[in-house]
Amino acid sequence: MRFVDEFRDADLGESLAREILGTVEPGRHYKVMEVCGGHTHSIYKYGVDDLLPANVELVHGPGCPVCVIPMGRVDDGIAIAHEPGVIFTCFGDMLRVPGSKGTLLEAKAQGADVRMVYSPLDALRLARENADREVVFFAIGFETTAPSTALTLMRAKSEGMRNFSCMCNHVTIVPPLRALLDSPDLRLDGFIGPGHVATIVGARPFQFIPSDYGKPIVISGFEPVDLLQSVQMILMQLRDGRCRVENQYSRVVPHEGNLKALQVMSEVFALRPHFEWRGLGFISQSALRLSDAYADLDAEVRFSVPGVRVADPKACQCGEVLKGVIKPWECKVFGSACTPEHAIGTCMVSPEGACAAYYNYGRFARERLVL
Amino acid sequence: MNEALPACIADFDGCITCGDHAVELSVVSVDEARGLAVCTDGHGGTAEVDVLLVAPVAPGDRVLVHAGTAISAGAAG
Repeated sequence: MRFVDEFRDADLGESLAREILGTVEPGRHYKVMEVCGGHTHSIYKYGVDDLLPANVELVHGPGCPVCVIPMGRVDDGIAIAHEPGVIFTCFGDMLRVPGSKGTLLEAKAQGADVRMVYSPLDALRLARENADREVVFFAIGFETTAPSTALTLMRAKSEGMRNFSCMCNHVTIVPPLRALLDSPDLRLDGFIGPGHVATIVGARPFQFIPSDYGKPIVISGFEPVDLLQSVQMILMQLRDGRCRVENQYSRVVPHEGNLKALQVMSEVFALRPHFEWRGLGFISQSALRLSDAYADLDAEVRFSVPGVRVADPKACQCGEVLKGVIKPWECKVFGSACTPEHAIGTCMVSPEGACAAYYNYGRFARERLVL
Repeated sequence: MNEALPACIADFDGCITCGDHAVELSVVSVDEARGLAVCTDGHGGTAEVDVLLVAPVAPGDRVLVHAGTAISAGAAG
């Protein structure tokens, strides 16, 4: 199995670009949403959109978990981080996400013991090494990341760890996609499906997109050739009048997903009745909490959290960006008040955020020239 | 994770394990009892990876790792 090398082949990329050019209908404008923030990042890192005809537009979806975390949840995490004796752990890109009173990085500067980890296992290791401290892991991510948290919690439980807990912010991909498809101001022709989420959940959960909404979706890998091939597969479905779930990333994604991962997730997590998504509002059954069997390891049970809902800054248009209604550079504060160094909106914080991808890879300058 | 970051992480301008990206690594050794494996990216970076979701794996196997957990695996070669 190979995941990377052959899928960065320039000649193959150019060949696919020519095929795409031969597939599009002149005069028709195509809007294709890449659901996953990892795709957004790859598209701009490798300049995939530069190889597409002008009438094929890529729209960036809500698939960056950091970008959809509401400010109130960040505030809750900071409140726990300030609790005496707590070591608060999270992934790196969460550190700079602004809450209403600052970021976790600023909380660290104020004295809170906030540490970046690369995996939940690292947080559990910290708990073993610091038996006199409370180690809290701020869990975030879609179904790709949730099994990692679940396995770590199962290890913590089996080891009888008393000083480890998890603040769970895991979200699920299907409910926000439904919410997007129900949005009246959205016009899309097809979807590039999230490859690594599908590695866990399989292809079946995405069947509602062709069945209920009549749109094609192609589950895609993350290399430039993957993305070009996926766009071509979507365009061919549209040309031929077909509408189905196709799997371009079959070298990794099994149709039925990873059954072990689904099993551990169902044991450790339960669906929240509703959860707030930045820019998208409250979406039913779109996030996970710890199941009753794991309530002892739930940081929201162990610690007192404010739980206060905080409205997004008025100047921030992350919501429209996340829905693909506007391009990042069309936001009023993009590149001026909102930059990766001083982000107002979450889409500018994470490397996977659409705004950060535009900013870091020069899209701002190019789009302005086009205007 | 040891001090030498895998090149694929440094290349990503951030923490690659945080989002929906995954890193291809090779299995060096397996601790079957604990469901863990030491993996390498071939550029000096190593990491302890949870392999319970893809077990059994053997040294030389390639695994796709996200947030410290292997989510897909294939035989060497």
